[in-house]
Amino acid sequence: MPLALQALLPPIILLFASALVRLRPRHPANGWIAFGATAGAAGVAMIELLYLSPGEHADVPYLTTFPYADVAIRLDGLSLAFVTVTLAVAALLMLARLQMRGDRREPWLGWLLTSAAAGGVIMADNLLLVYVVLQLLTLAWSGALDETARRRRGLRLSLQIADIGLLLAAASAIQSVGTSAFSGVPSDTFGTATFLLVLAPVVIRVGALVWGLSGPAASVVFEPAIAWVAPAGYLLLRLLALMGGQLPDQRIAVALFAGGALMAVGLAALAPWWRAGSRLPALLLSTQAAIALALSGGGDPLMTVASTWLFLMLIPLAGLLSISLPRESAAHPLSRVQLAIIPSSVAFVGVWLGGLALGDRGLLLATVPFGAAAVLGLIAVSSDLRVARSIRLDVATVWAGALLLLAALPIVAINPLVLPAAATVRPVPGGTMVASLLGIRTAAGSWPALLVSLATAAVLGLAFWRLGGVLPLRLRRRAPRRPGLSWRIPSRLPAVPEWSRLALWGAFFAVVGLVALRP
Amino acid sequence: MIVYLPAVLFGVGLLVAYGSAGRRRQTATLAMAAAVAWSLALLVDPGATVWAVGPLAAILLLARPAERARSNFEGLTRRGLTIAASMLAALFLASRLPIGENPVLLSAVPWFLGAVGVAWFVSPADQLERLQGQVLMVAAVAGVILAAVPAGALTAAAAGAMALMPIAGERARVPGQLRPAVSSLLLLLAGVAVILAAGAPSVGRLSLLDLSLSLTGPVLLAVAILLVIGVLASPLGSEWVALLGVLALAAAAPSVRWPALAALVATATVLERRGERPAWMAVGVLGLIPVLAALAASSWSPRVQAVALAFSLVLILFAAGTGLLRVLALPTTTFLVMLAVGSLSVSQIVRFQWIAAIGALLLGLRVVLGRLMRRTEGAGVLRDALVMGLVLLAIGARDSLGLGQLAVVLLVIDLTLARVGDIGDAAGGLVARVLDLARSSWPPAVTFAGATLAVVADLEASLALGLLAALTWAVLQLAPLFDGHAPVTAAERPRSAMRLVGPALSIACGVAPALILRMLRLSG
Repeated sequence: MPLALQALLPPIILLFASALVRLRPRHPANGWIAFGATAGAAGVAMIELLYLSPGEHADVPYLTTFPYADVAIRLDGLSLAFVTVTLAVAALLMLARLQMRGDRREPWLGWLLTSAAAGGVIMADNLLLVYVVLQLLTLAWSGALDETARRRRGLRLSLQIADIGLLLAAASAIQSVGTSAFSGVPSDTFGTATFLLVLAPVVIRVGALVWGLSGPAASVVFEPAIAWVAPAGYLLLRLLALMGGQLPDQRIAVALFAGGALMAVGLAALAPWWRAGSRLPALLLSTQAAIALALSGGGDPLMTVASTWLFLMLIPLAGLLSISLPRESAAHPLSRVQLAIIPSSVAFVGVWLGGLALGDRGLLLATVPFGAAAVLGLIAVSSDLRVARSIRLDVATVWAGALLLLAALPIVAINPLVLPAAATVRPVPGGTMVASLLGIRTAAGSWPALLVSLATAAVLGLAFWRLGGVLPLRLRRRAPRRPGLSWRIPSRLPAVPEWSRLALWGAFFAVVGLVALRP
Repeated sequence: MIVYLPAVLFGVGLLVAYGSAGRRRQTATLAMAAAVAWSLALLVDPGATVWAVGPLAAILLLARPAERARSNFEGLTRRGLTIAASMLAALFLASRLPIGENPVLLSAVPWFLGAVGVAWFVSPADQLERLQGQVLMVAAVAGVILAAVPAGALTAAAAGAMALMPIAGERARVPGQLRPAVSSLLLLLAGVAVILAAGAPSVGRLSLLDLSLSLTGPVLLAVAILLVIGVLASPLGSEWVALLGVLALAAAAPSVRWPALAALVATATVLERRGERPAWMAVGVLGLIPVLAALAASSWSPRVQAVALAFSLVLILFAAGTGLLRVLALPTTTFLVMLAVGSLSVSQIVRFQWIAAIGALLLGLRVVLGRLMRRTEGAGVLRDALVMGLVLLAIGARDSLGLGQLAVVLLVIDLTLARVGDIGDAAGGLVARVLDLARSSWPPAVTFAGATLAVVADLEASLALGLLAALTWAVLQLAPLFDGHAPVTAAERPRSAMRLVGPALSIACGVAPALILRMLRLSG
């Protein structure tokens, strides 16, 4: 099959399914069509990733509709790994939604379009196209054709405005080198200012988790994993890839690390005092995102692998937390274990790898904030932890179990997904990391994942058995004010006098006069 | 001595016109126009006197009532002060812009005609005098430019004929039974222009004797857009007015281009008076540009021309709130300025950028201030003001990639075509959603494409402009909150499938702006 068609297959499948769903509203099979198409698209992306040689990339151009934003697809380890994980999580969310009873709304068209747009963001071949598709993604998940629509208006507008940072970065690249295509941008094109501009949409999307994932109002919420976490992680790693894997300035790297670490500690510190079950998952998920952010700026291949792992694993974790989990189900405690950065959680693998890299550089002290965040996260989780009364084999439980398994056997994700993606961001020399069934071995140290996970599982099992009656642990809580990100124009604005109009025009005429008279 | 006779004739005509009514006043007005023709014959060439055909015919068509309009002390004082001030201004301009070594009183006669037009327009005794004022202003624009930039007889006749347009604007409507045919013809012409712009890069010039039309790629594209706007967005029966814009864009001679624009503004403001004064100010300033180029000293002329271009564009954007001013005068002026900016030197473009940037801020702040002053009318729509601001910034960009021009075209389409009529309630389901999309700031609406490209183009020009454009684009995303569901400013038109063409075109342009860029860059 020609590469041009192969590359287009995932979006074609998703858009075809969207058309099918659109043509047959309320058809009982729509959900299954959506799930099948999304899973199929994820499968195609996975196959393409497996066929990709190490370090290989392909740019497949199609059309020039928008100047300097050719419709072109980028196939490399980073884009294919992210699109695979994102679409797989989207498919799982659809499957979870199919199993839910009682919610009669039909979200399939919106979800399919959101998946397609998220895939488009990840596979776009130039920065300007990424910006354009990001807007489509925001439109797809919000459905707000009417721009005054109240639903998540503040968040939507914040994202739209923050994304202008990416537009400016694209424009800066076009100005400097005449293109914003990933293949045509030399690694020294982007300076500190551009990096900070692109960081804005990333940070806002991470922040969106705090406001957007406050205990799912619907049975399954689609956007946190697919529309916020996945693009945020991808954007940051893609920018790092464009910069050759390292930041333009050592001070920026330090600032990014410090900012991310502080954010992680701050978010984790908030978590224990929040009302259990509402924003706790959002805060702890954001904590992990902040740690990934901190590690991403590191000048070491192992740190790049660590942050890539964390960003990739955040997507399924955010997906799992987007499902309304009954407290008595097994999925609930399993998901909370993933939120705490403890051995046997996927996040711990990333933090451990990051810690090894930092330790190797003699910066072991820099891991203290991560440790603090982990401790605070554990305290927060213990206040929301209950012993499962029943073990039902639903999608969420299997999903949470799969994440536990992934933490125990990281080789499953590291070799096919994480290493190709990290190697796109920066060269990862052979031997930097070797994953086996028992764990991970690096030059800086090793992580016996299977052994530790089994041990932790045993300890946790014992703890649940012995402390089941006292869980969840009660902490003294303040009743926090529920923060809201709502943008309201005051109904009555302060009045200004009539002469202010004259002042405005006077200033304009003065400038015109000055500009005309200045020799 | 003979060279002063036109001025004497003009002065006598002016005194009689102010002091009488009916046929005597009409004759006096004819005498003023004849005096200008006489002065043109002495200043330029006897062939230039054919300019007078248009103004004389227009004055004859505007028969004055035999009775004088009732007046009072305040009215008389105002009229007296207005004519005195405008005559003084005309004399000042004529003295600063002398034509060769001719006496000032001779070269001032065409300026005097404009002064009378301004006076009658600003302080009219009645509606008829206001219309006469517009006729005289259009005639004066043509006369002054002809005096400064001599042209052939046919060009002079065409320039003078523009004086008839205000009367046509008031009285001429395309009959109902002919409207479909006229609309189809205009759309066909637009299609031909687009095909020529996209496929045949070097149509170049069309000439009939001394009258030339310049048909380069950007001009053809602008002509096509104007024709489509004329059919889809102008008030019923006024579709023909788009042809004035087409003439203004395509005319090679400044003595036709700017009078055509003046005629367009006159036609637009003859019935709808909102924004007429800034629009006429803009026409006056734009009309000065060829005069400055021909007559002013090179030490200051280029910089004033650059400032005049930007200033007049700000004025027209300020004025173009509704009606024909919005749908035809705005795009015509914008395209004219966009084409003219290409000839500015690097130092002059910086002056243009300064005024464009301040103008963009002014347009936005004006709306905000209007709201804060509790104005229910005339405050404007913030979204429109911001899009206009982006138009200014994009024109100022003049980037090597042509993205600024492309952004201007897209944003003009947004301002004029994308928001045609209130059709959301008529259409249901998918169609309504597509229309919502066309009027939104989401991709693939033309607003999105235009604003995005404006930011890219401005950053190409300078960091400050790029950041200002980005800021404007950011505020534009918030504008719907400020405006709410602001009414769509468009002419009332019958509900038909044609009303969907505008939004459909806007989405098409938003999807594939690269095609438009190709048209702009071919032989641009």
